[in-house]
Amino acid sequence: MRADGYAPIDGYAAIGDGRTVALVARDGSIDWLCLPDLDSPSVLAGILDAERGGRFALEPEEGYDVQRRYLPETNVLETTFSTAGGVVRVTDAMTLPDGRLGPLRELVRKIEGLSGTVPMRWHIEPRFGAGAWSTQVGRRSGVPVASAGSDAIAVCSWQAGDPTCSDGAIEARFELAAGAEALLTVSVAHQEPLVFPARDESAARLRRTADAWRGWASGRRYEGRWRDAVVRSALALRLLVYAPSGAVAAAPTTSLPEEIGGERNWDYRFCWIRDSAFTLDAFLKLGCGNEATGFFWWLMHASQLTRPRLQVLYRLDGGTHAPERTLPLAGYRGSRPVRVGNGAVDQLQLDIYGHLFETATLFARSGRGIDADVGHRLAEAADLVCEIWPNADSGIWEVRSEPVHFTQSKMMCWVALDGAVHLARAGQIPAKNVRRWQTEAEAIRRFVETRCWSDAKRSYVRFAGSEELDASLLLGVLFGYGDATGDRLTGTIAAVRRELAHGPFVRRYSGEDGVTGSDGAFLPCSFWLAESLARSGRTDDAVHLMEQLVDLANDVGLYAEEIDPDTGEFLGNYPQALTHLALINAAVACAKDGA
Amino acid sequence: MSVWGALAGGFVGTLVLTTSLRAASELRLTRIDLPFLLGTAVTAALIYFAVFSALGRDGWLLGTLFGLAHGLFTGTALVNILLPVVHPRMGTPLSSIDSHAVLEPPGFLMLNYGRSTPFVSLAAHAAYGALVGGFTALAS
Repeated sequence: MRADGYAPIDGYAAIGDGRTVALVARDGSIDWLCLPDLDSPSVLAGILDAERGGRFALEPEEGYDVQRRYLPETNVLETTFSTAGGVVRVTDAMTLPDGRLGPLRELVRKIEGLSGTVPMRWHIEPRFGAGAWSTQVGRRSGVPVASAGSDAIAVCSWQAGDPTCSDGAIEARFELAAGAEALLTVSVAHQEPLVFPARDESAARLRRTADAWRGWASGRRYEGRWRDAVVRSALALRLLVYAPSGAVAAAPTTSLPEEIGGERNWDYRFCWIRDSAFTLDAFLKLGCGNEATGFFWWLMHASQLTRPRLQVLYRLDGGTHAPERTLPLAGYRGSRPVRVGNGAVDQLQLDIYGHLFETATLFARSGRGIDADVGHRLAEAADLVCEIWPNADSGIWEVRSEPVHFTQSKMMCWVALDGAVHLARAGQIPAKNVRRWQTEAEAIRRFVETRCWSDAKRSYVRFAGSEELDASLLLGVLFGYGDATGDRLTGTIAAVRRELAHGPFVRRYSGEDGVTGSDGAFLPCSFWLAESLARSGRTDDAVHLMEQLVDLANDVGLYAEEIDPDTGEFLGNYPQALTHLALINAAVACAKDGA
Repeated sequence: MSVWGALAGGFVGTLVLTTSLRAASELRLTRIDLPFLLGTAVTAALIYFAVFSALGRDGWLLGTLFGLAHGLFTGTALVNILLPVVHPRMGTPLSSIDSHAVLEPPGFLMLNYGRSTPFVSLAAHAAYGALVGGFTALAS
């Protein structure tokens, strides 16, 4: 199940409370948890350093088989261990607050004996500050507590053995007979005293948390094909919505590698403008009005700090500072460096303006008004696009090679100005510079049509003057750069299938990107291809591809960013918002087309 | 000697006390929760004034000594003996989490809230006392 202490990435399930996310392995070990928020330093990081990262193991002491699932339409995980002596079921959740005195964050693990008698053990090694901070372990009122500076956790247990504290760890053994129930809770404090929860209160919060997730999932508006996958994707996405601000994290992890043993390891615990239009589109399609409104206003608030320019990404609290540095951790299966922060924050990526205007257009079309101040800022952004679109940039894939004139970036600049014109005509933003926006949009289109098209490939190309291909060109179909059934876009779809796709797997691009090594197939591109096929009228092909892609999810319905086409192994940060967003939008597009 | 000077010192001292404790929390030095202390900080200035009056002396140095004594009292008797009496959810060695949730007890000198907590608390209280004593003297 584990190699050198590392579980496969697809062996994890995610649980969370809208503020942070924990990853639970099939063997019951929680190997990733940042506290108090998902972009805070890690406390459990065994996934990035099996020896020193810290984990919360809970498993039978004898050999076992595992089955697991999410409780239907929830983010509450149920893992069933079957041993020679009996069967035990573990229910894991980060509970949602109930308005009473309770922990700042609470991880609850309920253990039920289903048959026979099973010897169990649990062991938690908290490593605050990704292991950089000195951790003290002791007891308060008999409760085991680990603390470091202004952070602390208490491990409360009932019928789960007599915990001992030693060598920076808290652990116990116990036997669970059929019908018996044990409970473990991790209570979290940050800059405040700990709350030691009562057993009944924690158990009640666990029940209410499952009910709350079920209530949320039942409100999702989708009855088309692959409903289970769509609802699971919505639930995964909801885990990544940072409740205090409404921002959506790209993923809850950092530095899960795009290549095992390689250096393509990035911190995704930020909100990317690149994802904004996909996010709002998915929220609106699924009837998540509150999330859509919260996200749009967070985007407008965050981007106000850098107006009229946009940053590639923002912190979940809307901050702009995300300097990149490395941590002294071994890395997932030796994949170093382990990075926190993201150097892409300082790149020029022109495509993000297209995503901004697509987001604003979707928001306005949904009947939610754009106020005068935001309208004014959007008009300023459109003016800026007129000035900066002729520049070379780093593109959607954040290449670390020299900037070039990426075709997709230019297409998205056209989408931005076209969106600005339509918003102005609808009275949503000031119309003073509409003529200029139209003129520049026409200039962009001329550039793309003359400099970014290859007669030899019958396709748009990766950047002006090249003969390389790029799956992000499919976004030209998705964002309405041209007629999805026209020759040029259908030719591009065909070229991407021909040269970048292998079965259901699609590579991002051909050519180099300034980083050594290679990566796997990029799952969002596969879903973009399915959506492009549906929009260009090739519904049967789209459905066939979707069937294959839905089967690629792990046992609990989650996806990473990438997949190794040869082994099927998940790669990259996990679970990945962009993949789940792409799944939702592709499924809806297929459903619209009658699939 | 003016009570208004003591109150002004108490007001400014409370600002300094709360700001420094909050900053210490951000600097990862302590997990003290401020609401526990605000009320005592405001009313303490009047007690300081009463003692200044009884002694017939005031000043920042005497205030600093009072602040240190105040900090010691807070870290020992106040939070460990008096606070559990008025705060039903404050944990004690006798409390149990079987029936309802309780707050982590602060421990001697509030060491449970971080090893640096006694130093942070005493320094903040000393600054508070110095301001109350200084303002009282200024208003005399």
